[in-house]
Amino acid sequence: MNLADPKSLVEYAATLDCIHCGLCLRTCPTFQLTGNEASSPRGRIYLMRGVAEGEVAGDDPVYHEELEFCLVCRHCESVCPAGVRFGEMMEIARDRSAHTAKRPLLETLARRIGFDVVLPNRALMRLAMSLLGFAQRSGVLARVAPLFGARKDALLALPAVPPTSEREPLGLRSPARVLERGEVTVLEGCVMPELFGRVNRATVETLGAIGFTTRACGTHACCGALHAHNGELEGARSLAKTTIAAFDGVADQGGEPLPIIVNSAGCGAHMKEYGRLLADDPAWRERASAFSARVHDFSEFVAAHAPPDWKPSVDASDGARAFGRVAYDDPCHLCHGQQIRKQPRELLARVAGLECVELANAEQCCGSAGIYSMLRPADSNAVFEPKLAALDESRADTLVTANPGCQMQWQSGIERAGRNVRVVHLAELLAEASRAK
Amino acid sequence: MEAAWIAELRAVVGERGIVDDATRLFAYEADGIVLLRQRPDLVLLPRTTDEVSRALAILHRERIPIVARGAGTGLSGGATPVAGGVVLSLARMRDVLELDPVDRIARVQAGLVNIDLSLAAAKHGLFYAPDPSSQQACTLGGNVAENSGGPHCFRHGATTQHVLGLVLVLEDGTVLDLSEPRVDPLGLDLVGLFVGSEGMFGVATELTLKLTKKPATVETLLAIFESLDAACDAVSDLIRARHEPSAIEILDRLTIEAVEASVYAAGYPKTAEAVLLVDVEGSEVEVENSVRAIEPLIRARGAIEVRVAKSDYERKQLWAGRKGAFGAMGRIAPDLYVADVCVPRTKLREVVAHTTRIAREKNLKLATVFHAGDGNLHPNIAYDRRDADEVRRVLEAGDEIMHLCIAAGGSLTGEHGVGLEKLPAMEWLFTREDLATMCRVREAWDPDRRMNPGKLIPMRACLETKQALARPEHLT
Repeated sequence: MNLADPKSLVEYAATLDCIHCGLCLRTCPTFQLTGNEASSPRGRIYLMRGVAEGEVAGDDPVYHEELEFCLVCRHCESVCPAGVRFGEMMEIARDRSAHTAKRPLLETLARRIGFDVVLPNRALMRLAMSLLGFAQRSGVLARVAPLFGARKDALLALPAVPPTSEREPLGLRSPARVLERGEVTVLEGCVMPELFGRVNRATVETLGAIGFTTRACGTHACCGALHAHNGELEGARSLAKTTIAAFDGVADQGGEPLPIIVNSAGCGAHMKEYGRLLADDPAWRERASAFSARVHDFSEFVAAHAPPDWKPSVDASDGARAFGRVAYDDPCHLCHGQQIRKQPRELLARVAGLECVELANAEQCCGSAGIYSMLRPADSNAVFEPKLAALDESRADTLVTANPGCQMQWQSGIERAGRNVRVVHLAELLAEASRAK
Repeated sequence: MEAAWIAELRAVVGERGIVDDATRLFAYEADGIVLLRQRPDLVLLPRTTDEVSRALAILHRERIPIVARGAGTGLSGGATPVAGGVVLSLARMRDVLELDPVDRIARVQAGLVNIDLSLAAAKHGLFYAPDPSSQQACTLGGNVAENSGGPHCFRHGATTQHVLGLVLVLEDGTVLDLSEPRVDPLGLDLVGLFVGSEGMFGVATELTLKLTKKPATVETLLAIFESLDAACDAVSDLIRARHEPSAIEILDRLTIEAVEASVYAAGYPKTAEAVLLVDVEGSEVEVENSVRAIEPLIRARGAIEVRVAKSDYERKQLWAGRKGAFGAMGRIAPDLYVADVCVPRTKLREVVAHTTRIAREKNLKLATVFHAGDGNLHPNIAYDRRDADEVRRVLEAGDEIMHLCIAAGGSLTGEHGVGLEKLPAMEWLFTREDLATMCRVREAWDPDRRMNPGKLIPMRACLETKQALARPEHLT
């Protein structure tokens, strides 16, 4: 990368794929919010091309703002006839802009601590979450939150950190609960074990119920998706290598590495693209592609491998009360990033005694978008509003998602609006349904 | 310091309703045809008719040119602010104000996206019939300005047949409510006059539109041909035998390749030279009879295969492929010139063959899709605007195609409008008197010619009219 050459600031060749037809406009949450074409995929690509061709300055603050305003939900990719790889273009443009942007010192410091120190390290993440939990319980958080200005509400909306007993890592080997049909490994993740340990356990439980033994990957923490999405490609590449090395070490008796099950859509979409991320690194290229081929979203794997005699059910009268009408909301990086739409619905349809309804705008972003809801809480909330309206219209009692970020966003949004709707990860519902007899 | 008029506009539309920095304005310098570019000085994003009215009054006083813009999906440069000035975007005016399933009308704000009206009407078994290929994105206000068509307009008619009333804001801010009565217009049909005026008469802010009952049954036929000629002949045969499908479309080989490589891959066979897509709608019996009658006709012209879509899903896929064709061409080259000529149906075969020759002579990549039932051709030329010589050849080819169609008794535009792109060609088709009459109609709406200046009617014609009118002897 040569920062003096504006063409190296963006993926110039990819900007030429956009023929300016505008079919993406209506799908874009930020265009919906503002009606401003610079805040649309077509507009952002136009600005990127403008940067490459010297018509927009590479360090233009408005250009940076438009890059950061984007949620990288990739909805536009699902409708783009020209096949523009917008998510990838955003990763590159944000990474380059991180080199030219002038961020406030405090923000730079926070980014370095977050991306370089805490996210990749499980022990530090655990410590950070313990501190957060303490701050939440003691009321300290409520007192210091106002210091964070606009981010105050986002901080207060963080889910309560569960007690330590619920934050234990997965056992190294969780045997299948029925006749074993194979072994898999799961990505425990960075924030997941701390805030959503129950989802990880439900993932293992469901896999066990369909005959798979799960082997955890020890101390591995972060896949680097948040890094890639937020302009930290170098960190993302390094974490990709760490991740590949860690998971390649978990092999079956024949020495073959195991399928990797991911219950976080953003992580799964990113890990499926390691081959592209490391394409310029001859030492890793092939290994990365082979790794990506082994990555499966939880719903993708369960739908493909559940035996015909697996009959999850919430038929028991108490079970039916627990879920009621169920609406599934597509996580962006599952439907737009991985083209997984049918499988979660098929799995829900398989659960006896469940009433499933569709959300009108299920493929629209909920505004969670990784750490976006922390970085830009006001925009995130505004993007969430039409989702809540659709939920109300659906009269669902339970909202099912398949991504922890979306789960947090829905949970805090529903609490804020005072609705009585339960939010669960698909794995939680399936685990409960495989238990009910 | 900010000019006083800008501050006034800011007060009208609010902070979020104004775009005034050079970087964001850059994104407004082109619509669907990026060859023609001009950055506006300001973009306004009003939310109500009242805001539009107050903003236009200020701009009238300041004598500033105005270009209304919907989604910027137009293909003739209609939303390009050639004279600079203010772009008035309707993108934040997208409410459905009223939907009456019994009267079968909808009153909507002009920035509503075409498909959103059909989605809103769907629960009543109704839809909005005109279906431009860009219907996922284009606004109904833009459809009114261009009198847009679409594949199914073969049966249902173009936009003008579906507009019952309009609320307009004139160039000086006057609000003209033409939304009542909803039955046949009395007096001069101003609504009819306004539809297709390409933003030169004023800004439509609210539209009263006709909704159509969804047909009981629809069947989609896909016929595969080894030659484009044969596909054209089949269309003529269908019409000759007085069949009235709701849509008749043809896609050529290069278009098929581009579509099949995209997210809209519809299962068109990649080896076919042309595919013919036919929709038949009506009662179950009608449709069954039509399909039974149409199929042998198409086969007789050498179709190697005729498929009937097996499910609603497959039918949607076949149409999504057709509608994604323009964007899919992004895989072939960075830019696309979309011609929009019309010829009598009987001339289709000859004209199509001729366009292919023109492209070959000029060494250009041509992909053709057309609304064959309407004789509306879209010869699409893929190019790269960074290559000046290629751009020259594209424009020459575009001119030759238009001349060709005029000679065949056809027209310059079927549905995309004249805009900026076909402006010079107006003088090939129309006489000085024709154009002078258009100018006088335009000036009745907008005496200063500030609304979308530089479009549709060649300026020279307007100036000549003015001079002629200034001479008393000419008035007698």
